[in-house]
Amino acid sequence: MARTPFQVEVLTPEGPIFSGEVEMVSTRTEVGSIGILANHTPLLGMLAPAELKLYISESEIVSFAQGEGYIQVADNHALVLVEEAIKPDELVREDLQAQIDAAEAAIAESEPHTEAQKKALRDQRRAKIFFGILEA
Amino acid sequence: MSQRDVKQRIESVKNIRKITSAMQMVAAARLRRAEQRISALRPYAGAIRRMTRQAAAAAGSEVAGNPILQEHDKLETAAILLVTGDRGLAGAFNSQIIRAGLLAAAEYEAEGVKVRFYAVGRRGVSSLVFRKLDPAGRYVGFTDRPGYADARHIAGELMAAYIDDEVDRVEIFYNGYVSPLTQEVRREVLLPLQQATVDEEIAKAEEESDGSETHHALVEYEPEPAEILQRLIPDYVEISVFRALLESTASEHGARMTAMRSASENAAEVIDDLTLEMNRARQAEITQEIMEVVAGAESLT
Repeated sequence: MARTPFQVEVLTPEGPIFSGEVEMVSTRTEVGSIGILANHTPLLGMLAPAELKLYISESEIVSFAQGEGYIQVADNHALVLVEEAIKPDELVREDLQAQIDAAEAAIAESEPHTEAQKKALRDQRRAKIFFGILEA
Repeated sequence: MSQRDVKQRIESVKNIRKITSAMQMVAAARLRRAEQRISALRPYAGAIRRMTRQAAAAAGSEVAGNPILQEHDKLETAAILLVTGDRGLAGAFNSQIIRAGLLAAAEYEAEGVKVRFYAVGRRGVSSLVFRKLDPAGRYVGFTDRPGYADARHIAGELMAAYIDDEVDRVEIFYNGYVSPLTQEVRREVLLPLQQATVDEEIAKAEEESDGSETHHALVEYEPEPAEILQRLIPDYVEISVFRALLESTASEHGARMTAMRSASENAAEVIDDLTLEMNRARQAEITQEIMEVVAGAESLT
């Protein structure tokens, strides 16, 4: 049975990526995986890098590799605000591998518990998760 | 100059004009795209602001704890970020940024403050290296079309340097985009992030939350609002850097367009002058020949 559709908007600093009706949004916050259907309670969440899936219908799924960001649900409207949203087939294996290597070098170079190291760890997490999306 | 020499020079100036007018058109097309990207950022920046307001209202007064909002006690090292382009041929675009940055550095040094340079764009990096002012951060290869990832990378390194106490203030110098014909050098303090920017949002949040407490209580937060807020605040710095990169790109294309237009106009002028000179040379040759014929005829009589 078809689910009730609701409005979703995916916005990045480089412009809107998606805007339209979907049946479900599946993504990941810093707390854990989350699925959003129509009439979800108002929500403000902080997103972690993950695969963002928009279920337009049971057979039609649009997915993106999302960077860090936020999700806001209010009045049956979901706003996904991410710093980047890349189509999985636009991910480049070599680039991601280079990013992982660069982040790991930065981790090794930086002093523990400094902000520089925290930044490198975040970069590493993002690149590894994107790599995982590419592999899947 | 003989007729043939002038003709050759006209040809070469015409070729130059072809190149400059092609560059002018390319710059105009890129300028339009850069303008679109500036307006594409607006909805995102607006949404971040609204979320900050909402999170701040829910978190209460827990914002003050963010290290990038706190001013350091002593100003020992100042970081200067110069935003230039990867390429030249754009009038004063690159040189005015470098000049402004060096001037500010001299002022800091006069007060006994150390200066650390960061540079975006090959032009900025190479002129700093040439002056033996080794930049701590070199960001090149994207000034034609900067991505948010570039801004995030730059902002991340600057914030890390600030939080780890390596620098006590960060200033950015870039070409602000006013119109295709005008760019102005802007100097902004990036870090510490002006508490006022965030305070303003919180003040608005408090106004709005009056009487709607129940509404906020119903919102689910993942994770706690205070935690969300701690990540939203650095986003302001990232957005500021991104906006500066975008404006700088638009300015660069605008400056190049203007520079190439005047180069093309100048070439047209040179062609006119040379054509006149060629006609004169041809006329002189004809006159010479007539004189010779007349002189020949006269000698026969």
